Amino acid sequence: MKPLFRIGLLFTVLIATGCWDRTEINDLAFISGAAFDLNEDGKFLLSLQIAIPSSSQAGPGSGGSNRNEKYFVISAVGKNANEAFEKLQKKSSRRLFTAHRSVIFIGESLAKNGVKDILDVYIHDPRQRLKTYIMVVKGGEGREILQIKYPFEQVPIEAVKEMEGLEGELAVTLRDFFIAASSEGINPVMGVIEAEDLSEGLRGNKNKIFSLAGLAVFKELKLVGFLDENETAGFIWLTDRLKQGRLSAELPEGAGTVGMVLNDTKRRITSQISGDRIKIELRLEGQGNISENNSRLDISLPNNLGIARVALEKSVENQVRDTLFKVQAKYKVDSVGFGREIYRNKPKQWKTLKNEWDHTFPDVEVSIEVKLTLGTGMAGAPMQWKEEEIEE
Amino acid sequence: MKRIKKWLRIKPGYPKLPEDHSKELENSKLSSNLEYNELKLNGIFHNISDIVFRKVRMAEEDHWLVVYISSLVDEEIIDEHILKPLISNRTQDGLSSNKAEVLDDRFISVGKTVVTSRITDVVSHALNGYAVILTVGNSDALMVKANSTKAQRSLEEPSSEPVIRGPRDGFVENISTNIGLIRRRLKTSRLKTESITLGELTQTQVVLTYIDGIVSESIVEEVRKRVSRIQIDGIIDSGYVEEFIEDSPFTPFPQVHSTERPDVVAAELLEGKVAILVDTSPFVLIVPMTFWNGLQASEDYYVRWPIATFVRWIRFLFIIIAIFAPPLYVAITTFHQEMIPTNLVLSIASSREPVPFPALVEALLMEIIFEALREAGIRLPKQIGQAISIVGALVIGQAAVQAGIISAPVVIIVSITGIAAFTIPRYSFANGIRLLRFPMLFLAGTLGLYGIVLGFVAIVLHVTSLRSFGIPYFTPLSPLTIANLKDVLIRAPIWAKTRRPQATGFNDPVREPSGQKPSPSQGKSSE
Repeated sequence: MKPLFRIGLLFTVLIATGCWDRTEINDLAFISGAAFDLNEDGKFLLSLQIAIPSSSQAGPGSGGSNRNEKYFVISAVGKNANEAFEKLQKKSSRRLFTAHRSVIFIGESLAKNGVKDILDVYIHDPRQRLKTYIMVVKGGEGREILQIKYPFEQVPIEAVKEMEGLEGELAVTLRDFFIAASSEGINPVMGVIEAEDLSEGLRGNKNKIFSLAGLAVFKELKLVGFLDENETAGFIWLTDRLKQGRLSAELPEGAGTVGMVLNDTKRRITSQISGDRIKIELRLEGQGNISENNSRLDISLPNNLGIARVALEKSVENQVRDTLFKVQAKYKVDSVGFGREIYRNKPKQWKTLKNEWDHTFPDVEVSIEVKLTLGTGMAGAPMQWKEEEIEE
Repeated sequence: MKRIKKWLRIKPGYPKLPEDHSKELENSKLSSNLEYNELKLNGIFHNISDIVFRKVRMAEEDHWLVVYISSLVDEEIIDEHILKPLISNRTQDGLSSNKAEVLDDRFISVGKTVVTSRITDVVSHALNGYAVILTVGNSDALMVKANSTKAQRSLEEPSSEPVIRGPRDGFVENISTNIGLIRRRLKTSRLKTESITLGELTQTQVVLTYIDGIVSESIVEEVRKRVSRIQIDGIIDSGYVEEFIEDSPFTPFPQVHSTERPDVVAAELLEGKVAILVDTSPFVLIVPMTFWNGLQASEDYYVRWPIATFVRWIRFLFIIIAIFAPPLYVAITTFHQEMIPTNLVLSIASSREPVPFPALVEALLMEIIFEALREAGIRLPKQIGQAISIVGALVIGQAAVQAGIISAPVVIIVSITGIAAFTIPRYSFANGIRLLRFPMLFLAGTLGLYGIVLGFVAIVLHVTSLRSFGIPYFTPLSPLTIANLKDVLIRAPIWAKTRRPQATGFNDPVREPSGQKPSPSQGKSSE
């Protein structure tokens, strides 16, 4: 009697309360991307790109109507992210589902105005993924990016996610952003995306395509400026996040250019503080192979390889110098985390430096030492020259 | 529970079977008067059309009476070995004593004969295919074995356990043939066969067989006890016996291993198990059974060990798929959409777009249809069975998806699950596994992944608490015997399995001397 009765009781528990959070997959609206913009009244405009799950094979009932659209965009205005989101929910017959949202875009005007009012919701809500990429839209509104068609992926924003996943660019997630924003001695950066005219290629279209375009530098959660691709490459190496990359350099005396592929890189950083003078010593080490040689030098000879190496090292130093110039002299914001290095290695001195860091950072002296270990790889004497034209 | 118990008649005091005439005959004996005996047997075999009373007249008034049931005996034996010698020698001298023993000694050229004076014995032997010879003035009857072997299926490859490499003979419905099949593989006097007769009306012969010295005496004793306490009107198949002797009747897992293959029986006997043969059933029961028996095919031991090991791992993988694939699909698509990669979730969502049912209903529907197809395929005559599978594949695979009633991923999941269940080599074990899928589906549909974890814990707890004839069902994994895992997690090479399994073979643990690994130095050292 008893065991069966108990099993019955347990079963009622299962039936009575079990399904409370059951949601069928086609009662959900999968958000692929979100964009924040500032409207004229100073309120936030939240736009969402929602994927339309349409079956690829046409059922017998759906003959004729050829639905090509794989996504649509809805927008709503609110005084914070939450309110806008609630309004958007009222426009959607399916529950908005944020877990698959891969990228959040922020319009440039909003970024300049400060992002502090829209970020909080992402920290507290468990339905938001901290691994979502966050990007600033250079010279435009976030909404525009959401509306761009992209030929490869089903849902365009998936393409952005894939692009961010490729090596070479600095992909900033919400988590990276929050860590940097809340850490000592470092200011956050964000990835940058930009809408470009797709001028050539696909036949006569007014279509646009997006491309990654460096980094956005933030100071007190406000956008202060951008780093271009070259400076971004320097930034990545400077912050020791480079795994693989490509370098190219011009050889002296106009002999031509060489390119290399980096396989392994290392950054060492040491700081010296003597009174007011702060000196940072950077040592950048890289390993890789020559991948391109447009000069007349036979690169397989040690001497010539040396020439190429020096040129490449110089170009790395210039690249890093450019980056440092931008953040130190132009934007005056420590995005590269020198302050954090001091905080970690010399916590006592940091206490005194901390409050004045914004003012001291531009005057920090940086010495850069680049050391590349080059292999010739597949490159040797250039094939496009006759033997006698090759310099040894 | 009470009602169910009553319904299942678990309560003691179940009324005994109605007494039949055999009871009153229990102690009655044959008389020396042949007419009286004939009348008596006539009364017992009243209205039995296939009984034959054959009188062989001797000199003067004396005659022999040969009684047999024509449908059970081989007429040729009766003619050649009983009637012919009797008739040709009827006028011979020295027959005045007419003793059964004398007949037996002089005339009957059949191996197995029995002399009795009890009527019950006469009746039961006649019903077992013996010819009974009664003589005038003698209260002993001579009974000569004349069983027909013509009504017997020839040895065929067992259809429930086919192999590609390995012996092809399978058990048949005749117990003596079956014992012969085992004895041909174990030519030792230590192979014991104890006979018990079960079933008031069927009088079915049940034989316990084991290898003396290897088997644990306590297991044999337990089997003997459980088998001999069965009281029933009839045993039709070994399935009847199985249900009487298993440890836990309320579980989907079989605790008695049934097989059609004599090689499996021989191998299991060598590991110290007990086999139960039931006359008229081609399925032999082997006890104790463990969980892992259910996942071992006989062919595992006939192919080379790396291949057998790989196949076992495939089975482990697919038994998990067989239980958990549909529940996981339901749980993840209805509760944990965030766990699916974006591209996959979009493709699942798009295939589910036209489907009107919740995922749980969809999966249940498909599973039930699949089960129906399977059942129909088994029950129907072979020719129609083909048609069923074509119709099933077409209707469900194509039409249901195209009509937007069932989504394609569910069809895929259910098909994989179906295949997975078929990778389990033991039929009765596979049945149990298939059954578990349904409660798991409900748990997944109501509680999500949490429900699946609950269900998994419940299954593991249940399996580890089961026992089969005193042996833990999950042994050697739990309780753990590391040495024995080499026949569970892998299939170790034969030369490496030097000891019998701890659980059943502890009486005589050593199976073979170690150091038989083939190598160039092998053999040299022994010279």
